[in-house]
Amino acid sequence: MIFVVFLFGENEERAMHISEGVLSAPVLISGAVIAAGGVGIGIRKLDYDRIPQVAVLSSAFFVASLVHVPIGPSSVHLILNGLLGLLLGWTAFPAILIALFLQAVLFQFGGVTTLGVNTVTMALPAVLCYLVFRKGVMSEQPKVSMVFSFSCGAGAVFFAGILVALALMSTGKSFSAAAKLIVVAHIPVMAIEGIITMLCVRFLKKVKPEVLEVTHD
Amino acid sequence: MTRRLISLVSLIVLLLLCFSAPAFAHKVYLYAWVEGNTVYTESYFSGGVKVDNGLIQVFDPAGKKLLEGHTNAKGEFSFRIPEKTDLRIVINASMGHRSEYILKADELGGSSASETGNKPAVDVTKTEPSAPVQVNADEIRKIVDESLDSRLRPIARSIARLQEEKGPGFTEIIGGIGYIFGIMGLLLYFRNRKK
Repeated sequence: MIFVVFLFGENEERAMHISEGVLSAPVLISGAVIAAGGVGIGIRKLDYDRIPQVAVLSSAFFVASLVHVPIGPSSVHLILNGLLGLLLGWTAFPAILIALFLQAVLFQFGGVTTLGVNTVTMALPAVLCYLVFRKGVMSEQPKVSMVFSFSCGAGAVFFAGILVALALMSTGKSFSAAAKLIVVAHIPVMAIEGIITMLCVRFLKKVKPEVLEVTHD
Repeated sequence: MTRRLISLVSLIVLLLLCFSAPAFAHKVYLYAWVEGNTVYTESYFSGGVKVDNGLIQVFDPAGKKLLEGHTNAKGEFSFRIPEKTDLRIVINASMGHRSEYILKADELGGSSASETGNKPAVDVTKTEPSAPVQVNADEIRKIVDESLDSRLRPIARSIARLQEEKGPGFTEIIGGIGYIFGIMGLLLYFRNRKK
């Protein structure tokens, strides 16, 4: 895998985790406030029986960032926020917060001060895609369900890129340039996560459909 | 949530682990070393990708910007030592990647360091009986200093590189997953007690 990464080695990386010291205080604070709101809603909606599910998906998110996708113009990694949103709804907020905190502390990805902003950029698209695509994913027709599952996985990555570009706007970067750079770099990730989400939904529908049917709102 | 789903997702996590072990994700590294009166810096992303055209800024301890410049395609940037103080070198690669390296004043070497080193040397040499030794002691000291500097520099460089390149290891990954399940256990425990 390292070998492949080196093949594509001459390009910069464009990733979702924003490091410390890049953003200004107002952006950091508003990120933290929105994240706190989302986590609050998520915790209120968290019922006892689903705590293990949240933990398992949180650790999947935690590890996903270590998986490089060496396809395309630059090396990026998996995010899996669409899958988390679809299976957890608003509870994706606390799940992603915990995973991001541990990534910041153990891997030095992102940072503790940017925890709020990073949580929002990844968990908000998760919830958004959950709200938009859930009905379609639950469709009886397999094809419709597949299309919506794919869109959920890919769309969450897309919106995360848009939000990162929005946050970086405060550093004086032009939004369109930053957004283009991030979104283009993540096209392979969108495709892969769309497929992962599709496979997961198909598997769950066969094996344990009630996991998908639970509403989180 | 059934056992089957838990085991499926656990399997996915394990698979991800296998893939992830060698390739450590995005983080930008910067390290700097001194040769003569020039500071050399090299910046790269984890995985060895060089930072092309990243903005490098150099600050003094008070936070005043001394100079700035861009890295070349190999991630390198060099500059003459602007001041004999601690230098804070900051790299701003694109898309929110940032890292910094502090170069201590005593690493900058050069004349100021050897001047302070001379004082005890004078005391020692004055106790010596013969004059030629006095001259030689200073010179020898200087020569030894210089050759030690040049000999040790590659070692210092590789130590810096070793320290910087240490990505998340297996321990950190397993530890993180352990924390998540620990939190889960605590939540279950407290919610269970409420019932």
